[in-house]
Amino acid sequence: MPYKYIGRTTDFKGKTLWEILGNLKNFGVGRIVARGMFERYPEPSYIKVLKVETLATPETVTPDDVRKVRVWVERTFRGKAFPNPIILESASYKADYKLIPKDEEEAYCRTTVKEEAKVYPKSFDFPPLMKELILRDIRAEGGNTKEELKLEIVYNKASKRTKYRIAEDGEKPNVEIVMGFGKPASPSLYEGIKL
Amino acid sequence: MLRLTNNFRTLYIAGDILNSNPHLLNSQSVRWRKPRWVPKAKSKIFRVPPRLVLPEDERIELMRLNANYKTQMKSIRKYLFDKYSNLNATEADPETQRKEFEEDFARCMEINNKWNDEQRVLREKRVAEELEAELDFARKAVELKTEKQIEQLETVEEIVRREKELSKSYILPENIDAAIEHALANPVDYNFAVNLNGEKVTGFEKEDKDKQRASVIQ
Repeated sequence: MPYKYIGRTTDFKGKTLWEILGNLKNFGVGRIVARGMFERYPEPSYIKVLKVETLATPETVTPDDVRKVRVWVERTFRGKAFPNPIILESASYKADYKLIPKDEEEAYCRTTVKEEAKVYPKSFDFPPLMKELILRDIRAEGGNTKEELKLEIVYNKASKRTKYRIAEDGEKPNVEIVMGFGKPASPSLYEGIKL
Repeated sequence: MLRLTNNFRTLYIAGDILNSNPHLLNSQSVRWRKPRWVPKAKSKIFRVPPRLVLPEDERIELMRLNANYKTQMKSIRKYLFDKYSNLNATEADPETQRKEFEEDFARCMEINNKWNDEQRVLREKRVAEELEAELDFARKAVELKTEKQIEQLETVEEIVRREKELSKSYILPENIDAAIEHALANPVDYNFAVNLNGEKVTGFEKEDKDKQRASVIQ
């Protein structure tokens, strides 16, 4: 009889980590496992299992906690390997892992997408009204208003390590970030509208 | 119906406020939704809301707009934070701050010393009491131990005395011949009976042996 699923659907696709590793010889040490959620990126993301440790039954038994396992892995995220092994425990219960067969490992882990290193601008303009207010303050204090006012951009620190860098002084960024509406990613949505 | 009356009540109260406060002329307090503590409607318990499916171009445009907004707001917030935290920092005179801090510290130290003095008196008293109690305990323990030792010594002495008494009748190499002779001369027959007069009647063993011998011969 076919399964009939009820309730809300999920984006997860696969098994929990223990469901995979518990069935493998030597708990799958040396094997490659991938998260279904990370397959949305063009670069490959996968983990290599280094060591597996089971956990004691938690004090308060919840459906998530009883499915957890502690795994030391070498993580590669979006084609970039992490320098140190990491411990995967809190996310190990997610039914979103899949085992990569040994003969497909090489093809799966190969980085085919070569992206140019992104250089982001260090600053952009102030919002127009704010700029006027600041200029007024400077004028009131008798300062120099000829100097160009720029607002330093705050970026996400975590992804700055791997995904991009910020332009040095005098360097030209290859990604444009502007204050205000910016350039639409899908111009078809704005047809007939004056931007 | 209940909801309607509730809402009318809310409106009525709102009306009161409106009359008293001209700033709230345009405000209207009507809450159509259920409050948080009211449970999920019975007709909605098993309802599964459909997943939102966005067209790809809309999705990427929304992502871009959200990311842009967040970056801009973060940058502005940081700018304002830096600006005003710097302003506040420069406003305060470091000399006055230091003086205030020192005064406050001196006051705190005075209170602290007072507390410490009070505590010291209490502590010394307590420590002395504890020491006395411990000494008492130790003295008692020594006394008990001595008593026990004396008792043990007496028990041992008693055993030794008894053994000495008994040792007089011991059979030693010197007197073994005499003992054997004495034993042979006085055979003891434990197989005896007692008659009505309380006298021992012996000689049963000999009769038994004679009978056994007779049966073997036959």
